[in-house]
Amino acid sequence: MWLFALPALLINVCIILIPGLLTLMAAFFVWDGVGTPAWAGLANFHSLFDDPVFWTALTNNFIWTAIFLIVPMCLALVMAAALMMVPSSRIVVQCIIFLPRILAAAVTGRVFQGMIFSPVTGLVGWLNGHGLSISDPLADPDRSLYAVAAVDIWHWWGFLAVVYFAAMRQISVDQIEAARLDGAGFFALLRYVLLPGIRPTLVLMMILTVIWSFQVFEFIYIVTQGGPANGSEVLATLAYRNAFFAGDIGKATAAACVMSLFGLCATSVYLWLQTRDSASAA
Amino acid sequence: MPVTRRQIVAALPAAAVAASLPRVPARAQDGRKVVTFWFAQANSDGQTALRNDLVDAFNASQDKYLLQLEVKGAAVNNLLKVALLAGNGPDIVQTSGPSYLTAIANAGQLLPLDDLAARYKWKERFLPALLNTGVYGDKLYALPRDYESMHLFYNKQVFSQNGWKVPTNRAETEALADAALAKGITPFSAGNADWKGVNEWLMTVFFNNVAGPDNVRRALSGELPWTAPPFVEAVELAKAWYNKGYFGKNYFSLTNEQSFLQVVNGKAAMAMNGTWSFGTKSFGMSKPDTVMDVVPIPGLSDRVTEPLSHLACGATLSIAKTSQNAEGAAAVFEFMLSRQFYQSMNRDWPGKWALPVKDLPPDLLQGIGYPLFEKTIASLHEAFSKGRFGFTTWTFWPNAANSYVTEGIEQVWLNRITADGYLNRLQTVFAEELKAGRVPPLPPRTA
Repeated sequence: MWLFALPALLINVCIILIPGLLTLMAAFFVWDGVGTPAWAGLANFHSLFDDPVFWTALTNNFIWTAIFLIVPMCLALVMAAALMMVPSSRIVVQCIIFLPRILAAAVTGRVFQGMIFSPVTGLVGWLNGHGLSISDPLADPDRSLYAVAAVDIWHWWGFLAVVYFAAMRQISVDQIEAARLDGAGFFALLRYVLLPGIRPTLVLMMILTVIWSFQVFEFIYIVTQGGPANGSEVLATLAYRNAFFAGDIGKATAAACVMSLFGLCATSVYLWLQTRDSASAA
Repeated sequence: MPVTRRQIVAALPAAAVAASLPRVPARAQDGRKVVTFWFAQANSDGQTALRNDLVDAFNASQDKYLLQLEVKGAAVNNLLKVALLAGNGPDIVQTSGPSYLTAIANAGQLLPLDDLAARYKWKERFLPALLNTGVYGDKLYALPRDYESMHLFYNKQVFSQNGWKVPTNRAETEALADAALAKGITPFSAGNADWKGVNEWLMTVFFNNVAGPDNVRRALSGELPWTAPPFVEAVELAKAWYNKGYFGKNYFSLTNEQSFLQVVNGKAAMAMNGTWSFGTKSFGMSKPDTVMDVVPIPGLSDRVTEPLSHLACGATLSIAKTSQNAEGAAAVFEFMLSRQFYQSMNRDWPGKWALPVKDLPPDLLQGIGYPLFEKTIASLHEAFSKGRFGFTTWTFWPNAANSYVTEGIEQVWLNRITADGYLNRLQTVFAEELKAGRVPPLPPRTA
């Protein structure tokens, strides 16, 4: 069995475990990325925790996680249930809602930045020109995180809906028909038949959402670069700036370790749930 | 023929030996030695100029070396660090200025250029103020690729229509800005939606033109803390101007090009921007200089009574220590010093490759055929030759302090922290880097 696992194991050790351990080590050194690293103990973590921007970034990661556990999940579940109940036009609707997912993040980010939010070239500017006073949410530190989240939700929820729809199709048609004959409406069917039927997929996507939310980088960096005034800063953008602008690899990897900690927690919860389900099934 | 396990095992030591052999310079098909060069960002005009005026012209000028240039984009500094660590970097190492050069030079990744400099007399041919930014521990590691400064670009048609004159001090500048606001014209167009570095461009102006270049130099030398009153005044003025709307309503929404275009179109009166702007698309729309004019930015306090240029080196050129073709790289540098290259590159991509040569005769500049740019370069050359300059954040601030100057000022403008809080944090970050020897070399200046 070990021989079969060896190729995959080797790849994982080489491209995940070793770089991961090196990253962990770097968090305990002062290093500018090219010179000789010097042992720093926990100084990078102290420096990180003393930086108010770190706490802003961590809070924003939690807000981002909460948003993505609620908004795209609900949108996707309702759409997937609707697709189950209305078979006509399924393919066309799936294509349309999946389309944002195949666009490059840079394209989506620039489209929203320039054609939607911009007060000069975007929809916001057009509305302002027609008497509706709206400011660019990306320029407001209190709203910029939510504006970028809206962009990412637009890009993400269709994919989630297609995944849920695929999972719902595994539910027995007899079960759905029986519920409808018993008079279950849209939301009753969703609540009592469809949601319990896709529970494993739902849990998996929620766990992955938590992991991805603590890794979020691309949309934020493309659209706001974490600003203004760190209003949309998250741990990944903070780590990137520390590493590649401030030349402080140690502090950057300390931030990356905090990110990984949350991913590790989410993965542990998933593994615990899997073990529990397996035990109860046996 | 199938390869057996025994053959693979036998090949492994051979592969290991091959990998450990010393590198030899790559050769092109025609036997020329290849010189590799990674360039950072270049717009379409810039890429055409690089291809025609540098690569093709150099390769046609001799038959020993073949220059291969790759435009790597904004991530080039990070790519370079990794490549140099792995011993696989390009022959010619271009960094985005002394702030980036310091770490690479201190890490011993670059070839000292002193021998080559003596042979080609580079020390006699470059402006000392710029050349000194490449000297670490008495050794020359880099040549300056260009000089830049923050300048005041203004729409002379808008000025003429409103009867405005170019301001010469803070009172006149503020009076003009208030008059522009009253007419619905943005006084200083600026936007950082695509590049946060715009923040530090503006802070370079405030630090130097308010606190004074001598105070800035003392602070960079560690003789004066950044919390000293002149810097508090500088940051307070930056905040006051932002809050008054001098930089427009859409600072965080406009890109740098969009903001500059507002000046060209007359929606804004002025822009405090870099001399590299001559090479941007938005400035290009004002050719042939009928709309725009440019002057050094006036002093903005009692300490600075004259307009001030800000010494900046936008890029440095070095040779990798592991380069197998240092001679070829030096030949490229020598080509860059030619009259032909100076004129063609500055004509086709003005502002990006203003090589800081010591001897700049008028006919060399006039050959460019771009009067406003020629005037600006001549004035920068004079100011930098005579030691009359301020210090730009992206050239003389160490990396972490530079990054904080850029990031932190947004918090001041948006009332998240005070000017004192901002400067306290800057002082803390800067003191650590000063102690670690990360502050780039500071050229002397004259009053």
